[in-house]
Amino acid sequence: MKLILAGVLAGLLAATAAKADEMVFTSWGGTTQEAQTKSWAEPFAASSGIKVLQDGPTDYGKLKAMVDAKNVTWDVVDVEMDFAIKAAKDGLLEPIDFAAVPKADLDPRFSNEHAVGSFYYSFVLAWNKGAVSGEPTSWADMFDTKKFPGKRTFYKWSAPGVIEIALLADGVPADKLYPLDLDRAFKKLDTIKSDIVWWGGGAESQQLIASGEAAFGQLWNGRVFALEKDGADVGVSWNQNLTAADVLVVPKGAKNKDSAMKFLATATSPSGQAKFAEASGYAPINTKAKAEMAADVVKGLPDAHVDGQINLDMNYWAEHRDEIATRWYAWQTK
Amino acid sequence: MQGNSLRRRSIAGLPAGSGGALPALTLVGLFFIVPVVALLLRSVTDPEPGLQNYAALFGSGTYVRVFLNTFLVAAVVTVVTIIVAFPVAWMLAIMPPALGSIVFGIIILSMWTNLLTRTYAWMVLLQRTGVINRALMGLGIIHEPLPLINNLTGVTIGMVYIMLPFMILPLVGTLRAIDAMTLRAAALCGASPLQAFRRILLPLSLPGIAAGGLMVFVMSLGYFVTPALLGGTSNMMLAEMIAQTVQSLLNWGLGSAAAFVLLVVTMALYAIQLRMVGARRLGGGL
Repeated sequence: MKLILAGVLAGLLAATAAKADEMVFTSWGGTTQEAQTKSWAEPFAASSGIKVLQDGPTDYGKLKAMVDAKNVTWDVVDVEMDFAIKAAKDGLLEPIDFAAVPKADLDPRFSNEHAVGSFYYSFVLAWNKGAVSGEPTSWADMFDTKKFPGKRTFYKWSAPGVIEIALLADGVPADKLYPLDLDRAFKKLDTIKSDIVWWGGGAESQQLIASGEAAFGQLWNGRVFALEKDGADVGVSWNQNLTAADVLVVPKGAKNKDSAMKFLATATSPSGQAKFAEASGYAPINTKAKAEMAADVVKGLPDAHVDGQINLDMNYWAEHRDEIATRWYAWQTK
Repeated sequence: MQGNSLRRRSIAGLPAGSGGALPALTLVGLFFIVPVVALLLRSVTDPEPGLQNYAALFGSGTYVRVFLNTFLVAAVVTVVTIIVAFPVAWMLAIMPPALGSIVFGIIILSMWTNLLTRTYAWMVLLQRTGVINRALMGLGIIHEPLPLINNLTGVTIGMVYIMLPFMILPLVGTLRAIDAMTLRAAALCGASPLQAFRRILLPLSLPGIAAGGLMVFVMSLGYFVTPALLGGTSNMMLAEMIAQTVQSLLNWGLGSAAAFVLLVVTMALYAIQLRMVGARRLGGGL
């Protein structure tokens, strides 16, 4: 029975797989993927003659299903770094061919055997100026409903960020965050639970803040950057900004592995990274990229805000992903 | 409705061994039985053979809570849908046919609009800065926005709206079949309108209510989009929980187990319903 099903599915999937001079790039959709298409896929197609088909959004369940069924239709996928570390351990990823992808200038924080950096970002505190009187300056302010009344919005899924924010707000020093004290974090989160509105995707976070539906939020800096570009009346605090990264991976058994590696070379090149950073407001993972960027763009990037910046520990998260997620959803549904 | 007549035919065709049912049976086998068996297998083999996924499922306060919540939401939605649908169906049943078909068309039309679009429309209406709250505050009726979204209220409003046609359609069929003379007879014998409703109309329309109610309840149990967008995390429903388990935790075994339990419960409900109302009357109501 299982075999029949697998056969039928394989046939259906094969019908949609890319041809030899094509490859498939999968990311999260929206403004981020548009910037990746413009900055990476289009120049790559022009120089290599390999057509890059876009798919999305990234779905870890789908990725695993493809690898398990040995029928992988995605060649390069943009994923969160903690997932990449875990997926490599579970045997879901191809090793990166560093003969094809120049490694020397890549920020070592965001590359490993099975992944190269895509971009890195910060969680920042953003607010709607029309809905907030005064200026929140730290994560503790987001937990102070007396001083700053109104709804606050946080990232809905179990991922690096919210737990750390709660601990910082509760007075844990930045260098003592790990190992995470989950009991303490959830206790702190309990104090504002009824004031939380969750956002599940970047566009939703922008809509909530821009409309004033939520007065404050923990947002990806690129999404705030896009709101400011659109002229929305938002404030942003970079104090205690939390960095995390997206990485590019090649699923195990990808059909166009060689093309994928070449694509990675373009995506992580100084010019590919510079173009993407200018379009998205996210920081480049190639150390030479900044030389190719306009000075005013460089000023707005996460790495221009290293004062009080905190690096989320991706290795810790990769190791405790399931355990934290189980606690997270148990708390959320309570 | 077509799906149902198809099902009835294939069930009726089975004992007679009719060759005409073969395509339908193949379809059901390939796209229903096979995936369900695969699901069941996965729940007892992934990551290793055994019942550990079911133990984890029932041992986890989270899943039990989400299960109970799913049934609560489905029950609330079903009851509210019946209450809203009944007057509409009654109106449709006694309307002149020409006018009735226009109103019918409007109801059906809403089913053709994309589900996601309709749910987003409700978000715009219900949120704190939404149309309803702004209007009520502008009129001075309320001073603080009403919490209409990210809670049970939001889910109920959004889902009742989507489920209404599935309740109205079977109800109209049942109500039309009721002889209007019975109501007139009740009135002549001195029954008040309320008495006539309670003792004549309501009992006679029970098969339609049961058929529609069951369909609404069962559909509600597995709903994903509307609760995910209009509900809050504290009233998460099972479909969303399963999606998280599979997508985020990559725990296919546990997700399959949860899906299988939901399926079994649904089938059991259907069986009970068949027994209570009787298959023929249920079918006739549709």
